Amino acid sequence: MDPLLLGGLVAISTIVVLFSGLSVALALLFVAAGFLLIFDGARSLQLMPEILFGSLNDFALLSIPMFIIMGAAIASTRAGSDLYEALERWLTRVPGGLVISNLGACALFAAMSGSSPATCAAIGKMGIPEMRKRGYPDGVAAGSIAAGGSLGILIPPSVTMIVYGIATETSIGRLFLAGVLPGILLVGLFMAWSIFATWRSGNAQVLAFTNYSWRQKFEILPRVLPFLAIIVGVLYAMYGGIATPSETAAVGALLTLLIAVIIYRLWSPVAIWAVLRDSTRESVMILWIIAAAGVFSYMLSSLFITQSIAEWIGTLEVNRWVLMGMINVFLLIAGFFLPPVAVILMAAPILLPIITTAGFDPIWFAVILTINMEIGLISPPVGLNLYVINGIAPDIKLRTILTGSLPYVGCMVLAIVILSLVPGLATWLPDAVMGDRF
Amino acid sequence: MSGHSAGSVARVGNNPFLKAVAALSTLCGWTSAALVVAAVAITCQMIFIRFVLNGSTVWQTEAVIYLVIASTLIGLPYVQRLRGHVNVDLVPLAVKGRARKVLGIAVLLAAIAIMGVVLFYAVELWLFAYERNWKSDTVWGVRLWIPYLAMPVGFGLLTLQLIADLVAVLTNVEPPFGIDEDPLTVHAGAEGARDAEGL
Amino acid sequence: TELRLSHQWSNNDIRHKVAEIVAEEVAAADVDLEIKIFGSSSLFKAREQYTPLTRGQLDMTILPLSYAGGQQPAYNLTLMPGLVKNHDHAARLNDSPFMDEIKEIAAEDDVMILVDGYLAGGFVGKEKCVTKPEDVEGLQTRAAGKSFEQMLAGAGASIASMASSEIYNAMQTGVLDAANTSSSSFVSYRIYEQAACYTPAGDVALWFMYQPMLINKTTFENLNEEQQNALLAASEKAEAFYLEEAKKEDEASIAPFEQAGVEIARMTQEDFDAWREVAKETSYKAFVEETPNGQELLDKALAVE
Ligand code: NA
Ligand code: NA
Repeated sequence: MDPLLLGGLVAISTIVVLFSGLSVALALLFVAAGFLLIFDGARSLQLMPEILFGSLNDFALLSIPMFIIMGAAIASTRAGSDLYEALERWLTRVPGGLVISNLGACALFAAMSGSSPATCAAIGKMGIPEMRKRGYPDGVAAGSIAAGGSLGILIPPSVTMIVYGIATETSIGRLFLAGVLPGILLVGLFMAWSIFATWRSGNAQVLAFTNYSWRQKFEILPRVLPFLAIIVGVLYAMYGGIATPSETAAVGALLTLLIAVIIYRLWSPVAIWAVLRDSTRESVMILWIIAAAGVFSYMLSSLFITQSIAEWIGTLEVNRWVLMGMINVFLLIAGFFLPPVAVILMAAPILLPIITTAGFDPIWFAVILTINMEIGLISPPVGLNLYVINGIAPDIKLRTILTGSLPYVGCMVLAIVILSLVPGLATWLPDAVMGDRF
Repeated sequence: MSGHSAGSVARVGNNPFLKAVAALSTLCGWTSAALVVAAVAITCQMIFIRFVLNGSTVWQTEAVIYLVIASTLIGLPYVQRLRGHVNVDLVPLAVKGRARKVLGIAVLLAAIAIMGVVLFYAVELWLFAYERNWKSDTVWGVRLWIPYLAMPVGFGLLTLQLIADLVAVLTNVEPPFGIDEDPLTVHAGAEGARDAEGL
Repeated sequence: TELRLSHQWSNNDIRHKVAEIVAEEVAAADVDLEIKIFGSSSLFKAREQYTPLTRGQLDMTILPLSYAGGQQPAYNLTLMPGLVKNHDHAARLNDSPFMDEIKEIAAEDDVMILVDGYLAGGFVGKEKCVTKPEDVEGLQTRAAGKSFEQMLAGAGASIASMASSEIYNAMQTGVLDAANTSSSSFVSYRIYEQAACYTPAGDVALWFMYQPMLINKTTFENLNEEQQNALLAASEKAEAFYLEEAKKEDEASIAPFEQAGVEIARMTQEDFDAWREVAKETSYKAFVEETPNGQELLDKALAVE
């Protein structure tokens, strides 16, 4: 059978099986096994355990459970609300200071955890009720936190960047740096929209400020120190010659656990187990998808589908930006339904040869892909962050959360356009810090 | 995926088989978490030996890799019990009553079938590595049947948990896909559903 | 008939070209035999090719045989410090009773060797040159291969294990002081941007790695005679190319280092002998201990002039 036709068949089967309600990992395994059995014979099924084990046999994967522990540990403390409060007291003279401090806290918290929903929950729990109390529209309160939370996978450390780095053999240190400026750009866009939307809603008076004394401003500063200590410690380990990026994650996890236990007094075994349980649940889920995706991409490669699709797209006489547009639409649709890790693992092996042939930079593309995945996190039907918000602010209607988030999707699309016009926003910092690439 | 939701868990009712499987899966969860903590400790030890003592670090990288693999595979049944393996449940939500039950049973049967195949070949590979005394090609030279053991154990217990889930649906201990017939509950994937209920 | 060949190398790597020559020659022979190449680890990861090859799930591959040293300890002799002196010596080794033994061991795993070939490598230092054993004392060193780790540890180096793709970052941030790998890896990972001194393979070199093209033996025997002959003829042609290119690669690796202003050091016969003494006490000894028949194999290899 023609590999392209076969590819179409694989795509349709995958969608059908995924929509049946089978878990993502088992769906990938099921489809892969089916096609291998039919087109490659039973001997290929024999390979499945080896490929599953082999996909996980990579030191770089260590950083996934480590950064997840970091996020879970810090989310279980009051570090999030400390951070939020400190920013709020200091930004009070800025118009819309409250929503700005919320978004700033999201960005800083994102710099600590590799996970978006953790960011969302940690800041939103305090931030959303506060914003609503002071008269910000529900849509802005919910939407800004949902969007701000999604920065967790763009601002380093980021689990999705790690997965991309492993799938495409790209330097993880570089990928992390590439996310910094686009992250700041997104925060800026989110802030601009939040203030505009609040002003337009007629609640302009909430943009005025409450006053804090200098004493109040300074007494809160020590409470954000542990937070800064972790960020500085991780950065120093990573770029200061102490450890490779994969090893750094372990330093971060240890540092965070220590700070959580010593400073935030996370002493009870029940609380510590809660952190470990939540991080086990998340990292096992992600790593199992990685293993299953290994079998899936073996099937695609073995049946020559990956190679044929890349070749076929290469022969298409389309403008490279049209191509990029098509890829974005594909990523967006995939992101609506699937978690970021699954999308990256399935798409990266097929997309990367296309991207590089068309002359796009893989580091830049990692940022574009990540922003696409962020959109998936705040868009229905499986926008994870929306349901986190729904959980922490149950009295805001899901409808309001959805419509409130949509303009932030617009901000992200705008960011993709800006990054396409100015690719240096993503590539300048890694090149400046780590030297030009080869 | 959020850091701190209470979480929904497989229901066991009064069925001793379901209770026993749940206990086994929970034990797996503890083991899985302990293995990751060990990986953190060993990585930090390696950095200390290399950076502070300028000593050799030949076995740590490999040990950490095997610990993370074992943590993942042995954690599988526990995460299945916690309903932590994400899925897209648009269709399960769209169909109702009997149709949902049939779909739920079919999905569990498919899951059991695929894991059964993987388990079978994993046992075969493990025996192969054991009989031929395969080692890793490093100075440490670990006998590979030891890290490979995580496969039969993890896959086997995941299959067992899936069978328990099927039994729970068949005996009406748990509704198919864990979806209660309650129009007010919001569901969107195991993750969304859990966060909506838990937080 | 279609055979699937998997390897881990990029499209401009010499080992990919070897595979291509075999594929093209076989196709030109018009014996209804096609070799499909899956390069750049697109089918199997580098170290996961040998097992499927032995079980007939993969037909052909081209890889460092020492990757399978955990399954067949005798293979560790194909990456042993000081065993091979230079490329011509390597070619003589390929036709020796020692290699016949290796081929017999491979046959036990249902594996047949089609193309012989050795590639050489050298050392880089972040701050100083590495030519003799005393040079590595106290340095954080990354070595390519188990027996090299043992020898370097014996010389007083601290061993850090990591993938060759991580060498660049590790040297840049100072995690690593020295590294040892193949000439082609030094160039493709642009290590010359981070090194102060390079010791390439020359008239004498320490690091030689046997990287043959393999086929599943049963698969080969199931081919008809015409196909077998075409495959063998193609392999012979590829082998000649492989030897020539392997020699050129070592010299070619020097240019980018020179252009980057890196000092080039040469290993003398004396240095080589000193390293071999260390190896005898460390890696040779460990090899004999863990390999059935190890001493006999080692003697056979050392007997090749
Ligand atoms: Na992050
Ligand atoms: Na989504």
